[in-house]
Amino acid sequence: MAGIAQLNLPSGEDATRARIIARNQLARRATSDPFWMKAIVLTLSLGFLFVFFVLPLALVFQEAFRKGWEAYLKVFDDRATTHSIWLTLQVALIAVPLNTVFGLAAAWCVAHFRFRGKQLLSVLIELPLWVSPVVAGLIYVLLFGRQGLLGPWLFEKDIKIIFALPGIVLSTVFVTFPFVARVVTPQLQALGRAEEEAALTLGANGWSTFWRVTVPKIKWSLIYGIILCNARAMGEFGAVSVVSGHIRNQTNTMPLHIEVLYNEYQFVPAFAVASLLALLALLTLVIKSATTWFADRALRNAAL
Amino acid sequence: MSIKIDHISKDFGKTNVLKNISLQVETGELVALLGPSGSGKTTLLRIIAGLEFPNEGEGAITFHGSEVTFQSAYARKAGFVFQHYALFNHMTVADNIAFGLKVMPRRSRPSSARQKQIVQELLEKIQLPEYGRRFPTQLSGGQRQRVALARALAVNPQVLLLDEPFGALDAKVRKELRRWLREFHDSIKLTTLFVTHDQDEAFELADRVVILGDGEIQQIGKPDELRDKPVNEFVADFIEVE
Repeated sequence: MAGIAQLNLPSGEDATRARIIARNQLARRATSDPFWMKAIVLTLSLGFLFVFFVLPLALVFQEAFRKGWEAYLKVFDDRATTHSIWLTLQVALIAVPLNTVFGLAAAWCVAHFRFRGKQLLSVLIELPLWVSPVVAGLIYVLLFGRQGLLGPWLFEKDIKIIFALPGIVLSTVFVTFPFVARVVTPQLQALGRAEEEAALTLGANGWSTFWRVTVPKIKWSLIYGIILCNARAMGEFGAVSVVSGHIRNQTNTMPLHIEVLYNEYQFVPAFAVASLLALLALLTLVIKSATTWFADRALRNAAL
Repeated sequence: MSIKIDHISKDFGKTNVLKNISLQVETGELVALLGPSGSGKTTLLRIIAGLEFPNEGEGAITFHGSEVTFQSAYARKAGFVFQHYALFNHMTVADNIAFGLKVMPRRSRPSSARQKQIVQELLEKIQLPEYGRRFPTQLSGGQRQRVALARALAVNPQVLLLDEPFGALDAKVRKELRRWLREFHDSIKLTTLFVTHDQDEAFELADRVVILGDGEIQQIGKPDELRDKPVNEFVADFIEVE
């Protein structure tokens, strides 16, 4: 605010300007914390961020490139490595679109309808966040495993779910379900229904109202939810580990493959694959900042 | 196009919002629904638009003789103007106005050249001929509300419903826009129902005024009649207070 006030003053009114600056400084002092407190809080949080996030991330890349570019690139000639990358992409390609649809539907229900059991639905959406991923994996083993509830029947029909792609996809879908719904719901609630109602009175049916009005309105938070969901889908370890069976060239996703390589003391390959996941995280961070900025702008515009 | 409302009631849970409402709006008439907040006037307007539905098994709504009581809003096509404009902020002004044309089924949809023509005619009618390529957020409140009106009119609605159309505007713009709307209505002669809590607005604009209080119609009449002969204490009080 101070900057704007000064910029708008016509030149030559130095006295006024000085007065305004003085007033702004006074206002700033009156509403802010003492300097030492700011310094401590800032040092603490930045220090924490550095030690726990920046340093490890840098170390991942340092280890990956320890033996140079060529050794780094050679890692990706290995068949088990390329297979794990391909498998991870497959899983994300199935799980993310599914959860985008489920998440949107759930967010829509919670934001726009009043119904019995709505509270329960909101709780269920968050369930995967507070259930340990290992438990999520175990649920599917108990359901679809050889000794599980549906195991004998599946075996008879020769359908493989556990220790195969379907099991990995299922547990990934479970773990990544909340992301789209949780990001989109508040945005939908904040923007209200008026635009959708306007579209209806103009003769648009539910389908075209959704595509022409709702999706453009929430697109930034939707994109954010999707990349968040994707990051988790590609990085998920616990749940996938339980159902995958760790079969090299078959059911090892990237995170599982990293663990295998690491346990075999193959540090450069392990960190090289890890660096891909770290890059994904960085990319997610960049897109997140951009989309939050756009989403906030959309909200501000709607409020005008 | 006349609107006939026949013994309509509406409950939200245990709250009785509208009680046995009957009302007829004649073709080409401009009628105001006037009442304090909580009187149920906006709910009544939304029920006429098909954005809410009345209690089942009680009463009916007919547009020019055909019943629409439980018809969905998109089939009913009653032009609706919202208090806070509800413009599509991600579309230009021209695209906002053309929206209703673009979502028509293919066989009845005008060609894109014709759509452009309709939009331009409407932009001229609302006195914003140069504003088609702007976005709603670049317009003032009064301009936005005129765009919202043009958008509602683009699909040739059978009736026009306005929910506190000037509620979000400042006093000067309100007055101007009020006069403008009256002239506009006289030129297009569309059956119009508007909701307001401002009695000056209702009395200056409307052919007839419906006074709502506690979910019931207290009195219907021409502005003079209401001022001279309020039928009950509620009406007398309400007109006095304002």
